[in-house]
Parts: sequence; structure tokens; C-alpha cells
Amino acid sequence: MKKTVDVSIPLGPMHPCWKEPVRLKCETAGERVLRAEVELGYMKKGIERIMQGRPWQEVMFLAERVCGICSVIHNMVFIETMEKISDIAVPPRAAYLRVVANELDRIASHILANFSYCYTIEHETLAMYLLNTRETVLDNLERLTGSRINTAYMIPGGVRFDLLPEDAAAMLADLREVEEEMKRHVRIFETGPLIALRSKGIGFMSREDAIRAHTVGPTARASGVEDCDLRLHHPTYRELGFTQITRTEGDNFARVMVRFQEVFQSIDLIRKCIDTLPEGPIRGGGFCKAGETSYAGEAPRGELTYTIRTDDYGRVVDIAIRTPSIMNIEACAHAMIKDAASIADVTSTFISSDPCIACNER
Amino acid sequence: MKFLYEKDLRQMKYTILTSTKHDETVRAIAERLGMSDAKLRMMLIRRFDMSLLENLESRWQMGQRHANDGDPVAEELGYELFTRFIPLVDTETMQTIYTDTQAMTQEIPFEEAIARGRARIREAILS
Amino acid sequence: MSILQKIKNTVRSRSIHVSYVDVGSCNGCDIEVLACLAPRYDIEQYGIYVHNNPREADVLLVIGSVTPQWVDKLREIWDKIPEPKVAVAIGNCPISGCVYARRGTLTSPPVEKYIPIAAQVPGCPPRPTEILNAILSVAPLIFKDYEEKQP
Repeated sequence: MKKTVDVSIPLGPMHPCWKEPVRLKCETAGERVLRAEVELGYMKKGIERIMQGRPWQEVMFLAERVCGICSVIHNMVFIETMEKISDIAVPPRAAYLRVVANELDRIASHILANFSYCYTIEHETLAMYLLNTRETVLDNLERLTGSRINTAYMIPGGVRFDLLPEDAAAMLADLREVEEEMKRHVRIFETGPLIALRSKGIGFMSREDAIRAHTVGPTARASGVEDCDLRLHHPTYRELGFTQITRTEGDNFARVMVRFQEVFQSIDLIRKCIDTLPEGPIRGGGFCKAGETSYAGEAPRGELTYTIRTDDYGRVVDIAIRTPSIMNIEACAHAMIKDAASIADVTSTFISSDPCIACNER
Repeated sequence: MKFLYEKDLRQMKYTILTSTKHDETVRAIAERLGMSDAKLRMMLIRRFDMSLLENLESRWQMGQRHANDGDPVAEELGYELFTRFIPLVDTETMQTIYTDTQAMTQEIPFEEAIARGRARIREAILS
Repeated sequence: MSILQKIKNTVRSRSIHVSYVDVGSCNGCDIEVLACLAPRYDIEQYGIYVHNNPREADVLLVIGSVTPQWVDKLREIWDKIPEPKVAVAIGNCPISGCVYARRGTLTSPPVEKYIPIAAQVPGCPPRPTEILNAILSVAPLIFKDYEEKQP
């Protein structure tokens, strides 16, 4: 890209605020940031190239390891794409259990994102409260799937483990606790005067910019983009009566608040799932066939698309993954950070868009 | 001790562009502009940063869905598409090309004027 | 053992600064290292302070198989850490490359090719308690009587 000024302030690749390595080069005039450039390549593992030519049994585990934070949804979208290709039906109980696992993962991911934001604006107390709440959520994910991070819970035609009644009761009790704690954290965040100074009106992104860069997920919903939640079109979520949360401010505060509100919504969804959990088997059967299709699901960060071509033996011939962070990081670097008032706001703005570099580069 | 960490990014940018979806997108853009895809790839690598390259596919899709200027000349030239959605040409250059082409359509046939306008866009991209 | 060494030993046993570097993993180990900060595990009660500055670190946690950008930079980070220092590999990726060591990959594991590794915590990802345990057991081995062990 053409240089407009000489002063370029690099942030990263190792930065105290950033969990993953990425490099932002900010061109500045005084304190004002004129434009920012992202340098990637620190996490490029070439996972799409590894996946090509491997059987689905192997790609299933590889898909989870595209990103550790949202591993459940990567697994779910890959499996649902395979089911769509080969016309495998899912038993209703398994479909509901998938939603439970997915929403638990979403709560954990959203809390982690808000933890990072609070940590970046140096509100360490709230950050530690949030991180502690996240542990309770991960406990429940472990109770359901047997693992904290890479769960491998779903398989074509069902899920691996059933949710026992006593586990369900324990999960509901834990969720009540999480909800109480989160209410307190949201109150701290909403009413904190110093938080408002660092968040309100900073890192603004207009609706037009959001649409132009095809931002998805909480980042887009905070800017007032309607109908950008793919859970609205997912059959199981439609049964549960899902509605989208939208805010119109488009600043850092709105992005964090959208995530807080979605945590409460996810808790409600899990409760509804457990209350109306249908009886029946958790695994159907079926064979993976040849075909090609593109399918998208709603990850914690937004729309996640898998385009897969398989052959007769169930091998993945060609695969393309479009993760939400690709769009969000790009919009963040070129729309939000542009014209930021100071370098100090760059880190918090970047974190507020919930960047996941491992997703972005694959 | 080294204090500068600038590294040649061309190889990594090329790796991004060679994945399935990005390759299709680059070919589609090259066809729209009427230039060879190797040249376009070279210019993309030179001008765009890595995150913009990763996002090329979504921006191209959104550009085709939402870019409309309500004007046949602007639409044919891709006025909004190549300045706002995929920023290959800066706005001032595009504006001059657009006004010139608009004036040309009065004198010579529409297709020929568009062809000349496109040639100037290609020039602007390659410069 | 000199008095100075004794004082150093006491201080070092309760003040370990940790820095972590992700050289291309799936992010799962990152968040498990972060989870150690949570009040449930409370890494700071052992005198371990996590921040991401290699220039004041004692322990470097290396996560992930090595991507092209890190091939030369990892060694530079290691050189910036003041002595005494120790590197711990977290997860399967720095040890063997885990799922990324396949045909078509862009990574070049193991990390041992680039910097010396003192301890390894296998797992995909390991639990926070395991990470904590590894730091606590490897740090005294390296830092105790460090000056006297020097030739």
C-alpha cells in the first residue's frame, strides 16, 4: 500500500494485550491514526491444504483445530455440511444436544472476548471476574462432552454422548449461578464511568462500512445490520424461537454489550433445550457420499462458511473455509481504527472486534 | 542486534491468493477488468495488505450485491466496486475517468466509450 | 553457598515472570494458559506473574508449531530474555507438530530446532493445572543456585 506519512507505529507481533501474534502498522500524524495495515502470517498453518485428500473421519478433527476458542461450531458446521451432502438425518434429541454444546461454547467465547476487552482497558477486576465465570461454563461443557476445548462432540448423524438427567439438573443449577454473576458483571460494565470514557463513541463503524466489508456476528450487529444471524435460519433454533439482538451505536461499548446480551440469550436457549429435550436415540446412521455444497453456520464471531467437495469414499477432495474473523479483522483495521484519536485506543478497538488470528489465517 | 523486523511478505501474500476461493475471485476480477490474472495478482500483492487479501472474496461478493450507482456508465466501469469495495483505484482518478467517459458517450457509441474507459482503469491499476 | 546466592534463591522461588509466545497453534493452548490467570487456579498465588514481555521474563511458554514468520523471530525473542531463562513447550504442537505435521503443511516443527526446550507439557490442549504444575516444577530446577552452577 502507498505510504502517506513517514511515522509508522508497529504494534505486535508480541503485545501484552494480544493473545495471538498479529502485527498492526499504524501510520500516525501526532497521536491521530491515519490508517492501519495488518501484517499476518504468524499463524498460517495451511490447514485447508492439509485437509485436502483426507477422509472425513480425519478432517472432522482437523476442522476443530482451525480455532480452539470456537472449536464446537467448526465441528458442527463441518458435520452439518457433510450431512447435507449425503442426506443424513439427525435425531431430534441429538439436534437439541448440539445446540446445548454450541451455546455453551458461545458463552465461553463471548466471556473470553469481553475478558480481553476489560483487560485491554485495564479494568483487571472485571476481567478476572469474567474469567472465573468462564471456568464454570467450561465445566459444564466438560460435563456434557468430556473435554474443555477440543470436544469432537458431533459426528454425522448425531452426537457422541447423551445428557443424563442428573447432569442436566447440575447444568441448570450452574447456569443459574452464571446468570446471577453475569448480571452483576454487566451492571459493573454498564455503569462504570471510566469504562464509558474508554468505550463509548470510540472505534465507530457505520452501517455502510459494516456492509461493505461484509462484517458478521456481534461486530455487525452492534452497527445495526439486520438479519445477519444465521441462527435465524437454522431449523433447531427456529423451533426454539430465536430472535436477533441488534444495537445501533456501532462503537466499542455496543460491541461488548451485544456479547453480554447474547450470553443471557444463550443461557435462555440452553434452558429451553433442556426443558423440551425430546426422548429418543442420539445417533442415527448413514454413509458419507460424493457431492459438493456450501453451508454456513453462526459461530460466536459470526458467519462461518464451509465449501466442501467430497468423493465416493467420503474423502474431502477440496475444501474452503471462510471464517468470521477474516471479515471482522479487515473491517476493524480499515474502518474502525482509521481516524482513531490516539494510539491507546487502537488496542482496545482491535480487541473489541474479537479478533481470532488462528481463524483468520487457518 | 536487529531492531527492524520488516520481512518480505510477497511469498506469504501469494500463498493467501492461491487458496481455492481466492483464486476463483482473482480470476473473476481479472475477467471483469479484462486483464491477465497474473498481472492483477501482482498488483494485488503490491497494493493490498494481508487482511484485505484474505477478505477479497467477501468484498467482491458484497460489491456485486450492493454496488449500484444508478448509472449505466458507472455500473459498467465499476465505479463504486473498484474504489470502495475493492480499493484498487483511488477516488479522484476514478472520478476523472468517469466524467471523461460520460462526455465520450455523447460523441462515440456507448460500447466504444466504455472500452476506452476500461482501458484507462487498467492503466490506473497497473501504474 | 554464599549469602548473596541464598537471597537470590529465596527471591527467585517466589517471583517468576512468565511470557508466552504463540508460534502457530489453534489457539486452544493459548486460552488454557489464560485460564491459569483465573481466580480458580490463581497462578499469582505461587508468585508467577504472566505478562507478555520477553525482556523481563524468566519462563517462556512456547505454544504451537512453527510458522514461516516465526522461523527467524523465535530465536530473536529467546535472545532477548535475560539469563537465567527457561523455555517450556505447551501442548503437542511444539513437541511434534500435532495435526499440523502432515503433507501440505506450512509449518516446520519441532520448536527444539530453534530454541532449547527444558520441559514439555503434552496434551491437545493440556489442562491449566498441568501447565501450572510444569512451570512450578521446572523453575526451581533451573533457577536454584544458578550462579554457582555456572562454570
